[in-house]
Amino acid sequence: MSASTRWLAACLLAGTAVAAHADSEFSGQLRGRWDDRTASLIGPLAQAAQLDPTVAPPQASAATLEAELRGRWQMLSAVATLRSEKPESAAWHSDGVMNELYASGEAAGWQLSAGRKIVAWDVGYAFRPNDIIQQERRRTLLSFTPEGRALLMGEHFDARTAWSLVWVNPQRAVDDDAGSAMGAEEQALALRVFRNVGEADWHGFARWGQHTRASLGAAVSWVADDSLELHASGRWAERADVLTFNTPASGLATSSPFTVATRNNCAQALVGGTWTAENRLSLMAEFWYDGTAASNAQWDDWQARNAQITAAWVNGGPAALRRGVAGNLAWQSQAFAGQSLRRSNVYLRASWDHEGWQPSLDVLYMPADGGRMVTAALGWQGDRVRVDAGLRVNGGPDDSVAAQLPVRRQAYAAL
Amino acid sequence: MKNYLALLSLACAFTAHAQGMNDLLKAADRYRVSSANMQVETQINTFNTDGSPDKERRYTVFAQANHQSLVLMQSPAEKGQKVLMLGDDFWLLMPGSQRPLRITPMQKLLGDASTGDIATLSWADDYNAQFVAEESCGDAPCTHLSLTAARKGVTYQRIELWIGKARREPIKADLYVQSDKLAKQARFVMDKPQAPTAVAEMVLLDQLSNHKETRVRYLARKERSVPEAWLNPMFLARNPSLD
Repeated sequence: MSASTRWLAACLLAGTAVAAHADSEFSGQLRGRWDDRTASLIGPLAQAAQLDPTVAPPQASAATLEAELRGRWQMLSAVATLRSEKPESAAWHSDGVMNELYASGEAAGWQLSAGRKIVAWDVGYAFRPNDIIQQERRRTLLSFTPEGRALLMGEHFDARTAWSLVWVNPQRAVDDDAGSAMGAEEQALALRVFRNVGEADWHGFARWGQHTRASLGAAVSWVADDSLELHASGRWAERADVLTFNTPASGLATSSPFTVATRNNCAQALVGGTWTAENRLSLMAEFWYDGTAASNAQWDDWQARNAQITAAWVNGGPAALRRGVAGNLAWQSQAFAGQSLRRSNVYLRASWDHEGWQPSLDVLYMPADGGRMVTAALGWQGDRVRVDAGLRVNGGPDDSVAAQLPVRRQAYAAL
Repeated sequence: MKNYLALLSLACAFTAHAQGMNDLLKAADRYRVSSANMQVETQINTFNTDGSPDKERRYTVFAQANHQSLVLMQSPAEKGQKVLMLGDDFWLLMPGSQRPLRITPMQKLLGDASTGDIATLSWADDYNAQFVAEESCGDAPCTHLSLTAARKGVTYQRIELWIGKARREPIKADLYVQSDKLAKQARFVMDKPQAPTAVAEMVLLDQLSNHKETRVRYLARKERSVPEAWLNPMFLARNPSLD
C-alpha cells in the first residue's frame, strides 16, 4: 500500500469513526477518478510543445483519489477535501483543502455566519453573471466542492422573502490593485434579496468591491407551464478586472503579453430554459453574453500574433531561439483563462433519467468563430455507489479558439 | 317563479352532492393524514417485474397546511436532497449546492415513486370528485369516484378512486398524468384489515414506463408544525439542521 493510499484510508476511517458520535453529524465520501487527456495538434501550446516539450508540457492524464469529509458540531460546520493525484509518468502528490469552516448562529431574527463558506448565487446552469461571491467554475466534467470565501454573513427569512448581506474577504488589506479583484479575492460587500411571487422567483443583487466598485444585477426563474422553466440573469459592473492581451512588437517578447487590466462598464446577461417530458427527457438551452471576455478584435490580435510568431520564428528563425519562441507561444495560451472564451455563447443540453442511468449530451457553441465543446456523459446511481464516465471534445474550424485549446479530448471515469 | 324555484333546488342539490363527495374524500384522507400539519416517515421499496428487489429509499415528509410540504431524502444515495412544495411551486435542493433549483411539476413527477406520491397525502383539498358508480371491490361494496385536479400543481391530473362503502377507506386508484395517460395504479393496504385505522402501505404499479412495483410504507406519523423559515427555499439552501 502506497503512502498516499494509507493516508486516504486513514482519513476515511477517521471520518467514519466520528460519524458514530451521537451529538454531531459527520459523513464522508471517497472518490476515484481517471482523466485521459489528448493534447491538441493545433494552437500555440501545441506548437510550443513541438519546438521544446519542456517549456510548457501539455496537461498529463492523471489518476486522482479524493476523500471529502463533512461535519457539523454544535455551531461549527466544516468540509475538507484530501486529494492525491498521480499524473502519468510522475509521482503521487497529495494536498488538502478546507472547503468550508464556519460558525453559525441566530440573533434578533437573523441567521449569522462567520468563517470560510461557500455562497453560490444566481439561476443559470452554464454561466452565472450574479454568482458574485463564490464565482464558481461552471461546466466542469464532474461536480466538485469549491473552496469557500472568507466572509461574515447575515440572513433574514420570512415565508417568501430572503435577505442576505455579506462582507466577503474582510481580512484583505485595503488595496486598489487590479490583480486582487481577479478570482473574487478583493474585499467587498454584497447584498441579495430573494422574493417568490407565484410561478416566479425574483432575485436582486448589489455588490461594492474595493477595486471593482459598484455592480447591480437581477435574475428570475419562472415556471411557465407544467413542463417548461425559463430563467434569465443580468448584471452591470462599473469595473471588471480582466486579462488583457497587449500586442508586443514584431520580435520575441521577454515577458508575458497578458496583464490584468480594469475595464469600465461591463455587462453580462443570460437567458435560458429547461423543458422536461413525461418520459423523463430534459432539454436545456441557454444563451449568454459575457462582456468580460475578450472581444472579437482582441482575438483577431491574438490570432495575428500567433501567425506572426509562427511565420517569423517557427518556420524560419534560428534554432538557438527555439526555447524563447516556445515560451512566447506558451504565453499565448494564457488567453484561455477567462470564464467565457468568446462573448456570445450558445449552450444546449439533453439528458435522460432512466432506471438510475443518466445519459447526457451537451454542446457549447461560439457563433463568432464556430468553435464548440461537445460533452457526452453517462452516470449511474446505485444505493451507495455512483459511477460516471464521459468524453469532452473541443473542436471547430482550425482558427477557432476552442480548436486551439491545449486539450483536444478529455475522457474520464469516476467512482 | 316556478323556474327560479326549480333552479334553486337544482343548485342546492348540486351543492349538497359536491359537499357529499368532498366529505367522502375527507373521510378517505383521514386514513393517511390525521392532522393538517404532520411529520411522516416513509420507506419506499421498488421491485423489478420478476419480483426481485430493486432499491430502497427513506424519506421524512413534513406535510403542512395550505398545500405546503417539505421532503427530506434520508437514504445514502440521496442524503441531503430536499424537495419543497408550496402550493403549485416546487424547488429541488441538492446537498452540494447552495442554490435552490426551481422545478416544474413534470420534474416533480420523476422517479418510481414521485415526490408527489410521497408528499401528497390528501385529496379533498386538491381534487373535485364526481360520483361514478357503486361497484364491487373484491368481496366488499365500494364507491367509484372520478377526481379531477382543482389546481394545476398536483402530481396527477385525474384520479379514478375506489373507496370502501362501509368504512370509507381508500381501496385502489388509477393515477393519470397531464396527457391523460395512465401513469400508475395504486392499491392501499390497511393496518388492520377488519377494523382499519390507517393506510399502512400504498402499492404503486408503474404503467407508463418500466412496469415496476413500488411499495410506499408509512413507518411513523406524528403531528408537527415546522417553523415558517423551513418553508423558504433560500433558508433550506443553507443546509440547516432540520431535526
